Order: sequence, then C-alpha cells, then structure tokens
Amino acid sequence: MISIRNLHKKFGKLHVLKNVSLDIAEQEVVVIIGPSGSGKSTLLRCINYLEEPSEGEIIVDGIPLNGEANINKVRAEVGMVFQRFNLFPHMTALANITLAPIQVRKMPQAEAEKIALDLLAKVGLSDKANNYPEQLSGGQQQRVAIARALAMKPKVMLFDEPTSALDPEMIKEVLDVMKALANEGMTMVVVTHEMGFAREVGDRVIFMDEGRIVEEGTPETIFTNAREERTQAFLSKIL
Amino acid sequence: MNFDFELIVRSFPLLLLGAGVTIQITALSVGFGLLIGMFVSLARLSKIKPLKLLATMYVDFIRGTPLLVQIFLIYFALPIVTGTRIDPFVAAITACSINSGAYVAEIFRAGIQSIDKGQMEAGRSLGMSWTQTMRFIILPQAFKRIIPPLGNEFIAMLKDSSLVSVIGFEELTRRGQLIIARTYGSFEIWLTVAFIYLIMTFTISRLVDFLERRYKIDDKH
Repeated sequence: MISIRNLHKKFGKLHVLKNVSLDIAEQEVVVIIGPSGSGKSTLLRCINYLEEPSEGEIIVDGIPLNGEANINKVRAEVGMVFQRFNLFPHMTALANITLAPIQVRKMPQAEAEKIALDLLAKVGLSDKANNYPEQLSGGQQQRVAIARALAMKPKVMLFDEPTSALDPEMIKEVLDVMKALANEGMTMVVVTHEMGFAREVGDRVIFMDEGRIVEEGTPETIFTNAREERTQAFLSKIL
Repeated sequence: MNFDFELIVRSFPLLLLGAGVTIQITALSVGFGLLIGMFVSLARLSKIKPLKLLATMYVDFIRGTPLLVQIFLIYFALPIVTGTRIDPFVAAITACSINSGAYVAEIFRAGIQSIDKGQMEAGRSLGMSWTQTMRFIILPQAFKRIIPPLGNEFIAMLKDSSLVSVIGFEELTRRGQLIIARTYGSFEIWLTVAFIYLIMTFTISRLVDFLERRYKIDDKH
C-alpha cells in the first residue's frame, strides 16, 4: 500500500530523516514510536507530502508522489488526523465533514450529508452535527476530525499523535474509535506515545531515533524483547 | 472677526453634494481596492516567483510614493504616453483604487497569515487544492479578522480622497475651495468642510465597531 525508499528530509542544515525505507501492507496497522525529535512526525507528514522529501521515493497505492496532480490524488486517498485536530472553526461538524467530499469528489450535498451523519454516528457524535468545533470538547473535536478524514473514503489513515493534546479522560474515547477502525481493516500509520494502544492494536511497531528506523517488529518483540540498546533505553523510561 | 453663519447655511447643500461625491469616490476606490488587494495578496503569498515579485513591486511602489504624485502620474503623465486625455473622475477613481489596492493587499496578507497553518494543512490533506483551501477555509476566516483594519483603510481613503481636488474633481474639498473663491469665507467654509468629514468618518468607525462586535458574537455561536 505504501512504499518508502531511501527517504531523506532536511530542514536547512538539520537532517531530520536519514535514509528511511519502509513498506506498509494493506490492512496493516503500523505504530511509530520514539523520542521527540526522532523524525516520526516528519516521516508521517512526508507520506501525504505535507513535507516535501529532500531525497527518495514514496509510492502510495501505486501512485508515485510527484507533481501537483498526483499529490492531490494521493492526498484524497490518505486521511490525516492531526495532534491539534485542525477542524475548520467557521463550519459546523457536519460541514467540516462534507466539505472535501463535495469539493474534491464532486459528491451531491445530500449524499455527502448522509455519509457524514453515518460517520458521526460511528464516532458516537450523532447529536453534535450542527455544533461548531468551539462547542465541542477536545475528544469530541478529534472524533469529528477522524470522521472528516474518513468521509473521503481513504485507503490509508495517518494519525499524528492524535491523543497528545487531549485531557487524560478523553484519550480513551479517541483510541476506541481508532481501535474500531483497525478492526475493520483500515490501513493505519500511527505516531503515538500510547504504548497500550501500540501493544493492543499494532501489527508492527517501529522505533525511530535520530531520523533513522532503529528497530521494528511485532509489539510483542519490541516491548518484551527489544534487540537494540536504544530501544530498550527508550522503553524503560516510558513503560 | 465676523462669523457669517448665513454663508454656511447657503453653502451647505452644495457642500453636501460634494460630500456625496466624496463618498462615491471612496466607496468605488475601496471596492476596486478590495478586488485588487485580494488578488495581489494571494500573488504575494503564492509560490510562483514572478507573480510574487510583481505583486511586491506594486505594493512597494504604491506605499513608497505619495498619493498626490500617483494622481498626477495618472492624470497628467499617462495622457502624454497614451495621447488621450483622461476624465478627472476616471483618473481619480483609478488613482485611488490602485492606491487602496496596495494597502488592502497588505491587510489581506496579514489576515491570511494570521490563520493557523494547520488549517491549510488540514485542507490540503483532504485532497483540496491550494485554491479550494483558500476559498473555503482560509479566506472566510481571514475576512472576519480584517474587518477592523479595512474600516481604517476606508476612513483613510475617505480623507485622502480630498487630494483629487487638485485635478479639479469636484468632491467635498474642491467644492469648499470653489465656494471660498467666490465668497472669501475661508473660516466658515473650511470649518464646515472639516465638520462634514468628521461626521462621515465618525459614522464609518461606529459602523465598523458594530460589524466587529457582531462577528465576535458570530464566532461563538
């Protein structure tokens, strides 16, 4: 589904990603962990070209990421959920969700709204369709953001620390939605500090440090039997 | 000194006509200025280098030269190149619109840049183009924020439009000059002219306050 080859990313002199290669299969749930500044968010943001790679190749669902047309095509197939939700504050939850299907997929409004209402029901927010983001809690906003991404019927979902900006009691409601999504077979790439989620839902865990993939494996292997010293050191601090 | 109140009463209708023309120039100029400003601000923010350069040069030139000189350039200098005289009204509106456009462009640019960059990322990540994201997400939010500075621009333009009196265009200031030429009532007439300007700017600033408050409430829903 996603193939990343020899990816480099530099911000000026800062070399953030160093020769990263990674393949992600359909229906796979890949969890990326690592200390802050390790390049995990940047890697995720390269997959839908929010960051332009300095070198290397990315192919998503057979489409190489190059040229404006291809990039928009890939972005329509790849949903993204941000740490800070990034809902559109001047629109209701419903309008947030229907905007892209109507504008990008040219879907009739009635159909888009029907899909949006179904998605709101799925994330447990049927009664919030006409609320503005400001009237919703953080957890509710993030669930609307997930519904917004799903409305495009993406083939892959990217999650960039989706629970890091949430109050502790709201984390679970978001993780539950993500779990349900994983169980339905959605291909997911998740950058997170929620190790419980990684262990329970992840098919594969990737540990990144200093712009490199240090180690990868099943959650079981990484959490109980990590080979690399750096992985062990990181995990010992957070588990 | 003799204060001739009678003169004010007699001249008032004529001055009001002039005020009407002043409002007309201002509204048209800021209206065109809005159109110009929106496109120029987008050009300044675009990644297309020549477009960006052109827009920056325009803004720098207009903001770096006096409006009076810009009016002269259009009314006196341009006809030498084109070979045709320009109607004072057209020249006035053109000069003021081009002038206003540069200031409005900067207001727009600041408004657009004040919107969190996560908004653009969210729009783009959903597959929308830059233009679509601007149109549906960034600009509607930016518009609310630029109402106060746009109000200030409107007031500034209203006052600056007095400069077009130098090309003989009969707005409020020019009317005043003409009446004084006939009656020598400098004190009475300039005082009245100032008062009419004040009434107009005061009204606009209250209107802007009202809009600003309305949109603030709107924001909350």
